[in-house]
This record gives sequence, structure tokens and C-alpha cells, in this order.
Amino acid sequence: MGVCEIQSLTRDYGNGRGVFDLSFSINQSEVFGFLGPNGAGKTTTIRHLMGFLKPEKGYCTIGGKDCWKDSADIQKTLGYIPGEMVFFDDMTGTEFLDFMSKYRKTKSNGRTKELLDRFELDPRSKLKKMSKGMKQKVGIVTAFMHDPEVLILDEPTSGLDPLMQNRFIELVLEEKAKGKTILMSSHMFEEVERTCDRVAIIKNGRLAALDSVETLKAAQAKKYVITLENEDAAAAFAEEGLRISGVTHNQVTVIVQNNIKELISVMNRYPVINIITPNQSLEEIFMQYYGGDRS
Amino acid sequence: MINWTLYKRGIQGSWKMLLIFAAVITMYFTVIVSMFDPALGSALNEFAKAMPELMAIVGMNPASAELVSFMEAYLYGFIMLVFPMLFCILSANKLIARHVDRGSMTYLLSAPVKRETVAFTQMKVMVTGLFALVLYATLLGIVNCEISFPGELDIGKFILLNIGVLCLQLFIGSICFLCSCIFNDSKYAVGVGAGIPALGFIVQMIANAGEKLENAKFATFFTLFDSNGIIAGEPGAIWGMVVLFAGAITLFAVSTVVFSKKDLHI
Repeated sequence: MGVCEIQSLTRDYGNGRGVFDLSFSINQSEVFGFLGPNGAGKTTTIRHLMGFLKPEKGYCTIGGKDCWKDSADIQKTLGYIPGEMVFFDDMTGTEFLDFMSKYRKTKSNGRTKELLDRFELDPRSKLKKMSKGMKQKVGIVTAFMHDPEVLILDEPTSGLDPLMQNRFIELVLEEKAKGKTILMSSHMFEEVERTCDRVAIIKNGRLAALDSVETLKAAQAKKYVITLENEDAAAAFAEEGLRISGVTHNQVTVIVQNNIKELISVMNRYPVINIITPNQSLEEIFMQYYGGDRS
Repeated sequence: MINWTLYKRGIQGSWKMLLIFAAVITMYFTVIVSMFDPALGSALNEFAKAMPELMAIVGMNPASAELVSFMEAYLYGFIMLVFPMLFCILSANKLIARHVDRGSMTYLLSAPVKRETVAFTQMKVMVTGLFALVLYATLLGIVNCEISFPGELDIGKFILLNIGVLCLQLFIGSICFLCSCIFNDSKYAVGVGAGIPALGFIVQMIANAGEKLENAKFATFFTLFDSNGIIAGEPGAIWGMVVLFAGAITLFAVSTVVFSKKDLHI
């Protein structure tokens, strides 16, 4: 029994939009990546977990409690970063953080200050005047300041610069080490690769893949960039019946699923100068699921 | 059932608007009370005699020489109906629908606070504002009259009249609040929430205007607030107040349930 369970969750918005028969579960102290293109149903799923939407079919639970019926109870130990930061305009960041902590009835701890320092955020200006990145930081502090057990993070690093993205990844890894359970939706593949144990890929509201980050990467067809002596050799090499994804000058990019020996035997007959295996990111695996070509 | 942090925040967000309404009411009360002349009949009564139809449409019928009837006729037929109503419309939208529409409701609900509590607290904010506005008008009326015409105002009847207005405005407020809870879109919440009371008010104006159209009064809840009847101490007018009050409680309860059960795309 995982900390967070989603069981045959269905919500049909018509025209193939929504989520359909979605099931997965997240274990204690696991970081779970939740990927998919815009409109795939990530936010809809998260809204169900937050108790904003009532499932048409199926259910979801957090800590054994029903996300729709017991949402207020679940929220006691839950931290949430919404996909879109909308605050109360007329407040300053300080007022907002103060409001949220009183509204939640959180006992004051040193946590807020620590988070503000970590993200180098000065919250004294008006929320309305803040840049996207600053608002995002306020959202992050709000989600973590009451030291929740479960975190739901909807594209948590959008708008942050690379330095702050890195600090955020460190924060997530620290929380994970403390035994927190984290669901993170993201388009930033680096942060998923670095933090997540398992990844679910959702496509048109259905689960397209669910596996550990390692397995997903291993299942990926490997790419090899082979450099030959000259362009003629490269052109001939490309005609050898291997799966070729591109030829540029004297370089040939070959895609290999299981036939590595075949590639080696072909390479033996050609004047190969160099062979590179470009570091494949989750992004490429992801794109493969959507049949999109990334060039 | 009530979150005091949210309540405080709501009051902070309302007081500027309340101040503006209070200022408008102060102006009207001061001007109108100063026009009262027990001996000669007021200037307004001259108007009412000169063009009875026009004055009747806005609820201003020639008043008797009593100060409380004079105030009822010239302040509680239009000013005290329209301005608190405007407050209800703006306030109800701001407290629920706007947060849902913009998305800031996310933060109110990503906390261990039940939706019922959020709705109930926001309702309390609106009711507090409304109560403050009517209480202010009551005190203002009494003070104004006592300064200009000491001893002339029947304070008991005047207070009862204000309780009547409060019941009516609570009912209007509950309609606006219900719409704010039903619609996810601010423009529909305001459109319908303002539309229903505005329509009711217009129908009342039509009913006031002519004998032929008098039956139109059965088509509007404004009829339940019978200010003449309240002053005259008619039991029917008191029952009208009770019905409005009970209606308000019911609609507020329905609003809370609607808000707690609905899907929020935030």
C-alpha cells in the first residue's frame, strides 16, 4: 500500500480530453516523476489528488484517506506547488507567507527563514510587482514551510534560473532523504533524471509508461554517431541496411535496438575514425512515446 | 466553522469599499433630513405633489408630517435599497467567485481548512459589512434627526425600519453569494447575482408607477419589504421581514453546500 494511491481514476471532458482509467501508486520516501505534454491530464490528476475535483470513476487516496472526502484532513501534512502562481494581489510576499502560516495554523518554526535564505528571496515587495521567478519562489516557500510529509509539485521550477533550479533539486533530494513522499510533474528532464526514482508518462489521459528512471532509459533505443574518413564512405555506410536517423558530411547517426553485433560487423568493413554515444536524456525517450522527432 | 485569519483578511479587504458607501449614505441622509420641515411640508413634498408619478417610481411618496415617515419615504425607498445592494453584489463576487476565476482559491483550499469553513467565513465577512452599513445608517439617521429636530423622530419605529432593510439586504446578499458559489466565472457570478435583484427592483419601480401595473408587485421579492407597513406596525409587514430573513438563511446554507460539492478547476 503506497502513501499515495490512484485507482482507475476517470474523468471524461469529452473530445478525448481528461484522464481515463489511470492507476498508480507512490511509495513512502519516493520521488515520483509525472510527465506528459500539455493537455495530457497531469493537472487534472493533481486536481483530484488535491480534492478540487470529484472523480467520476475510481478514487485516489493519500495516507489512506480519500482525496475528495477527507481533503482538509489530508492537507494538514501536504505541501502543494500549483502549476500557476496566483496570489492575492494586494499583499506583499511577507504578508502572504504570514497569512498562509496563520491560515494553516502552523506553529512558527525557523523553516520559512531557512527557505527564504536558500532561495535568496526577499519577500517584502508586492506580489503583483514580482517577476515570475520570484512568485515561483514564494510558491515554493509556501509549499515547504510547514514541513509536510507529502508534496505535490506541479512544474515546480518553471521560471527559475539554472542556479535556483539546482537549489530546488537539492531541496527535493534532502526531503526525500528525510522520508518525504513527492509527486512531481515536470518538463525539466534534468530535474526528473536527478531526483526521481520512478516515472509515469501520461499520454491523452492514459498511462503510457511507468517504470524506474533507469529502466526507461535502458529501454530506449541507443544512438551512435559514427564518423568516417570521408563523405563517400559515410554515404555507402548509410546504405548498409542499418536504421539510420541522419547523415551529415562524414558522420552517420545509427539507431540500435538489439542489433549491436550487426553494427560492429558493418563498422569493421569501413574506415571508421570515431564513435560517440550521445548522452540520451529522458526528453528523447519522452519524445519517442509521442512519435515526435526531436532534431 | 470559521477561520479567523481569513475573516480578518476579508474585513481588511472590505473596509475601503464600506467607507465609500458610508460616505454616500452620509451625504444623502444629511441633505434629506435637512429638507424636513414639520410645519410647512418639505420641499420634497412639493416635488412629490408636482410630479407624483416620477417620485413614486423611485419609491418617494408624499409623506406625512411625521419625521420617521418622511425618512422612510425619501431614504428607504431608494437610497437604502440601492447602495447596500451594490455592496452585496461587489462583495459577494469578490469573496468567492473572483478567487475561483483567478485561481487564488487554490491557496485557500491547499490548507487544512474545509470548503464549508471557507464559504461560511466569507459569508460572515459579507454579512458583517452589511450589518455595519445598516447600523451606521441607523445611528447616522438618529444622530442627524436629534441634532436638527430633537425629539421628533420615533426611534423605535426607525430602528424597526432598519431591521427590515437589513432583512431585505441579507436576502439580496444571499442571492449574490449563491451565484458567487455556483459560477466559476466572475462575469456570470456578477451578471446573474446582480441581475436578479436588479430585475426585482425594476419590477417594483414599475409596480409603484401605476395602478394598472400594481399587480407587478407580486412578481418581486421587494414587496416583502413593506416600509410603510413597518412604520404603521402592520403584522403583514413584520411577517415579510421574517420571510426575507428565513430566505436569506436558507440561501446562505445552500451556497455553502454548493461550494463544498462542486468541481473546482483551479
